[in-house]
Amino acid sequence: MLGKRYNINYLSRIPMVAAGKGDLTEPVDHTKSTERSDAEVIARAQHGDADAFRLLYEKHKRRVYSLCLRMTANTAEAEDLAQEAFLQLYRKIGTFRGESAFSTWLHRLSVNVVLMHLRKKSLPVVSLEENAPSGEDDSAKRDFGADDVALAGSIDRLQLQRAVDSLPPGYRMIFVLHDVEGYEHNEIARIAGCSVGNSKSQLHKARMKLRDLLKMNRAEKAGKSRAG
Amino acid sequence: MTCVELQESLAEVEDGTTPEQRAHLRTCPACSALVNDLNLIINAAVGLQEAEEPSPRVWNSIETALKREGLIRPQKRAGSLAHSLFAGWTGRWLAPAAAMLLLSAALLVHNRMQTNTVSEQTAFTVPVPNPSDLNDNDLMQEVAENAPSMQAAYQANLQQVNESIRDAQAVVDESPNDEDARRSLLDAYQQKSMLFELAMDRSLP
Repeated sequence: MLGKRYNINYLSRIPMVAAGKGDLTEPVDHTKSTERSDAEVIARAQHGDADAFRLLYEKHKRRVYSLCLRMTANTAEAEDLAQEAFLQLYRKIGTFRGESAFSTWLHRLSVNVVLMHLRKKSLPVVSLEENAPSGEDDSAKRDFGADDVALAGSIDRLQLQRAVDSLPPGYRMIFVLHDVEGYEHNEIARIAGCSVGNSKSQLHKARMKLRDLLKMNRAEKAGKSRAG
Repeated sequence: MTCVELQESLAEVEDGTTPEQRAHLRTCPACSALVNDLNLIINAAVGLQEAEEPSPRVWNSIETALKREGLIRPQKRAGSLAHSLFAGWTGRWLAPAAAMLLLSAALLVHNRMQTNTVSEQTAFTVPVPNPSDLNDNDLMQEVAENAPSMQAAYQANLQQVNESIRDAQAVVDESPNDEDARRSLLDAYQQKSMLFELAMDRSLP
């Protein structure tokens, strides 16, 4: 028994989303369980309850921050944007009526915060063709006839993160919105102000570029292993 | 359909399931490998959704702003759940096992950074608790006894956090001075320590 083995005397029940997936606090007490429900917490937050604000932050911080970090590829900017997203959430929470899922509402708000930021920085959000350095769009064609090593097996998460961070901003935006966050092309077209066809085309190019980056990374690793 | 046409068609039908695409893929190993790789990337992308933990200073800044703007009022219940949770992370009840896990991670990461320096010898004189002392079976046994309905959730979380540790550890091993990798490793250990704390919480009378 862990508790007995380590002689733990002062533990409290932790309404925590551990490891980012699901609430691991068993509803031992149904009253407490009810208290912890999203609707209850949101209602409390709408009345300015500090605990409720913090609970909402704890539950959603990873997703919001990860979104900001993936879209900016910059830790300091991502922290500022996550902060801004939550502040906007708290300022507007009184207007949330529950017509949509709270998480959907928050993530849309977060995407808007990031898009506004990128526009302020004059980074082209959707004029994607120009974002890739010359010749990068031909990456797929280069593969044919070349010594083509497939990415067989699985893709390491950290390597994928780095590859995504290395994408040109426009490619990264579409990839994160579609493949990471699950937005549809018509939604991306609407919020980013581009055509559906453009969104599809840029997503495909982003994936091809990622494939190149991941293969390059594996080739470098293999080279190091041989040298070592 | 040529290889170039196949590739262009993937923007519209990404999984290669049109009759024309299928016909080409049956005879072209390079394009088959391409479609497989793209599917791997698509599947792995979902794993980035909650991959990062923000620094504690993010909440500190939010809280300061909320107070400044008068958006929050002081909590009424001194013993509320959230108060216990958030005061507790830096407080007296931080479970020894979880702390040991984090300490182990920090020391291990620290030691790896020092591999080529004189301080390495000093670092290795520090007794490093072994995270494996706190094995997963203990945790699952605790959950089974005190929260049987949560076994599946714990098992899934444990598996995920172990995979994160393994991934990050591999990168740290390869590049000991990589800041991002070390941070990821510590984050992963922090998540695991959280699981242990939750399980131990249930063991109380």
